[in-house]
Amino acid sequence: MPRGLSIYAEGTSALHRAHPFTKGAITLVSVALAFIVPSLPWVLGLAAILLALLAWARVLARFVPIAVGILLPITLLLLIVQGFANPANRTVLIALGPFSLYVEGMRVGLLAAARIFDLVSATFLFSFTTRPADFAESLMQHGLSPRFGYIIQSALQIIPQSLEQADRIREAQQARGLETTGPLLRRARAYIPLLLPLVLSSLVATQERAMALEVRGFGLPVHRYSRIVLPDSGAQRLLRWALAALVPIAIAARFLGWR
Amino acid sequence: MGWLNAFKLRLNTLGIVLIPVCIAIDWVGHAIATSLKLPLFLDSIGTILGGILAGPWVGGLAGFITNLISSGTVDPIAAPYSIVSLLLGFAAGIAAYLGWARSPRGWIYLWILCFLVASIGSTPFNIALYSGQSGLPLGDAIYAGLVKAHWPTWIAAYIDEAAGDLPDKLVTAAVALLIYNGLPRRYRALFRLYTPAEDTTEADRQPARA
Amino acid sequence: MTPALLMEGVRFRYPETTPYVLDGIDLTVARGEWLGVVGPTNAGKSTLCYAAMGLATEFFNGALTGRITVLGTDIRKEKVIERSRRVGMLFQNPFTQISGARERVDEEVAFGPENHGLAPELVAERVKESLERVGLSGVAERHPLDLSGGQLQRLALASLLAMHPQMLLLDEPTSQLDPVGTRDLFGVLNHLHQGGVTIVMVEQKLDAVAELCDRVVAMAAGRVIGIGQPEAVFNDIAVQDSAGAPSYTRLARTVGVKPPWPVTFDAAVRALHA
Repeated sequence: MPRGLSIYAEGTSALHRAHPFTKGAITLVSVALAFIVPSLPWVLGLAAILLALLAWARVLARFVPIAVGILLPITLLLLIVQGFANPANRTVLIALGPFSLYVEGMRVGLLAAARIFDLVSATFLFSFTTRPADFAESLMQHGLSPRFGYIIQSALQIIPQSLEQADRIREAQQARGLETTGPLLRRARAYIPLLLPLVLSSLVATQERAMALEVRGFGLPVHRYSRIVLPDSGAQRLLRWALAALVPIAIAARFLGWR
Repeated sequence: MGWLNAFKLRLNTLGIVLIPVCIAIDWVGHAIATSLKLPLFLDSIGTILGGILAGPWVGGLAGFITNLISSGTVDPIAAPYSIVSLLLGFAAGIAAYLGWARSPRGWIYLWILCFLVASIGSTPFNIALYSGQSGLPLGDAIYAGLVKAHWPTWIAAYIDEAAGDLPDKLVTAAVALLIYNGLPRRYRALFRLYTPAEDTTEADRQPARA
Repeated sequence: MTPALLMEGVRFRYPETTPYVLDGIDLTVARGEWLGVVGPTNAGKSTLCYAAMGLATEFFNGALTGRITVLGTDIRKEKVIERSRRVGMLFQNPFTQISGARERVDEEVAFGPENHGLAPELVAERVKESLERVGLSGVAERHPLDLSGGQLQRLALASLLAMHPQMLLLDEPTSQLDPVGTRDLFGVLNHLHQGGVTIVMVEQKLDAVAELCDRVVAMAAGRVIGIGQPEAVFNDIAVQDSAGAPSYTRLARTVGVKPPWPVTFDAAVRALHA
C-alpha cells in the first residue's frame, strides 16, 4: 500500500523539531531573497547557508541526487540559451561560429540557475523536515478551516492510491489488447481508455465519500481541539519576524542602489 | 447578478471531496502521458475537468493545490506557477458557467481560453524567474532564435511559452471535454455546484422510468 | 417515549425524475427495535434509509412530502451533520466510507468525535471502546487500507459507534463482504441491539434477517407490502413472490410442510421433525 506522497525524512535535528511556520518562513524568505538580491555572490552566499542548513538537518545526502536531477537540465538550458542569444552579448567565451556562446549571456544564465538552486534547496529543506500532517495541523491551529485541512490530507493519500489504480487499469487494458507502444498516434489513442475508468470510479466514490463524511459530522461549526502538539517558542516567533523583515529591507536596498 | 452567481463560493461537502479527486486526476493524467511517452505535460486535466464539472472554485483550488503538492514533493519549481493553475481552473469554471462545455463552438472557446490563461499567466513568471525561458527545449530554441533576431524579450518569452501551451492545452481541454460529455447525465447534474447562466435542467432531465 | 423513527404519508422522488421512489410510506420504529427492510431491487429500500438520515432531501435535493420524525425531531429541522450526533448510517461499500485523510485506524475512528468537538481525552476513550466493540483493537495502528473488506466495514461501524448513536441505519452492510466478514458484522450488530441501539437494516440475506430482526418490513415499488414479525411477513405469499424468503422457508414449503412455514433454522428443524 502506498504510504503517501510525502518525502519527509525522519530526523531529530533542531530543524525537524522546529515549528512548521518557522521552517516555512526560512523557505519563503530564502526564495524571496534569492530573487531580490542583486548579484551572483549574494545568491551563492544564500546557497551556502541553505546547504549548511540541509547538512545540519542531516538531509544533504538525500538532497544532492534529487537536486542534480532537477537542476542539471535547467542549468544547461539557461547557460546555453542565454549564452547564445542574450542581447547583452559581446565577449565570446566558446567560439562555435554562428552558435558561439558569450560571456555576458552565460553570466545571466548562471545567475538565473543559481537562483533556481536556492528555490529548490529552500523548498526541499522544508519538505525533508516537515511532516505534511504537521503542516496541515499548524495551519488549522491558526485558523484554516478543517474542511480545507481535509482537502490537503486527503489529496496526499489519494494521489498515490490513484497512481497505483492507474497501473492496475493499464495492466487490465493491456490484457484486453490495448496497444501502448509504437507510433505516436497509436500511443495517443490509448490515453483516454487508460484515464477514463479511473475518472469514473473516482466520481462514484466521491459521492459515496461525501455522504459518509456528512454522517460523521464533517463541517460542524464546533471548536476543534488540536490533535497534534506542535511546540513553538518565543525565540522562534522572533526569528520568523526577523526573517520576514529581511524582505522589505532587501527590496528597499535595491531601490536605493544596492548592486 | 448573473456573473456573481458563478463567483460565489459554494463549497459543500461534495465540492470539498471532489477537489482531491481532481488533484489526483491531474497527477494520473500526467503519469499516463509520461508512461505513453507522449510529448505533452497533460498535468491539468483534473483542474479543468473540475472547473467544467463543479465550477470556478473547485477547479481553481484543485489547480492551486496540485502545484503546491507537486512543489513540495517532486518539483519545487512548480510552486510559483500555482497561481497560473488557480486561474486556469477558475477560468474553466467560468467557461462552464457560460455553457461552453456543451457546444462544439464552446469547446473551441474553452481551448483558447485555457491556452491564453496558461500562456499569458506563465510568461511573467518565466521572465522573472527564468530569464524569459520556459524550460522546454523546443520553446527555448524558438526563444533563442527570436531574441538573436532582435525581437523584444517579452514577445520571445511569450511565444516560447505559447509554443508549449498551444498543443498541451488543446489536448488537455479536449480530453477534459470528452470525459465530461461522456459522463452519465446524473453525474453532471450532481456535481454542478454552480448556477449556470442558462437553465440546463431541460437538457439533463431524466426520462421517466416505465 | 417517542418512536425512534416515524414516517407518515411519506412520498419522495429524486430531482428531475417523475416516478416516486417512496410512494406512501407509513412506518413506526420503536426505540431499541431491530427492523429488517427487505424487497426486490428498486423497491426504495436504500432511499428509505437516505430519507431517514436526511440525505435524500439535503444531499440529493429530492422532493419529499409527508412527515419524517427521527428521535423526536422533524427531518427538516436538522441538518445531516447535526443529526450525526444521534443517528449513524452505514453504507454498502467499505472502501468509500473511510475518510481518506487519516493514516491509522485509531485516528480514523477519531474523525467523527473530533468533528463533533469532543475533547481529546474523551475522543481517545471513545476510540478505544469502539475498536473493542467491533473487535479491531489489534489493528489500531495499521493503515486503514491494509484492512480487508470485512475489517473495513467494521472500521466504518466503529467510526459511527464512537459518536454514541441512538439509532443505526444500515444499507446492505454485508453485500460486499465474504461469509466470515458477514458473520462478524452481524455479531457486532447483535451485541449493539442487546445494548439498546435501534437498528434499521436493509438486507438481502433473508436468513439473517429472519434470525436477528424483531420485525421486518417488506417493500415493493416504493410501498410497504408487509410488516410484522418475521414469521408473519415471510409467510405472506405476496412477500415471498417479490422479496423472496429465507432458505428454510422455501425448503419447508417445497418439502411439503404445512403453513405457517418456519423462517429460522431452529424452527425449520422442529417443523421437519414433526
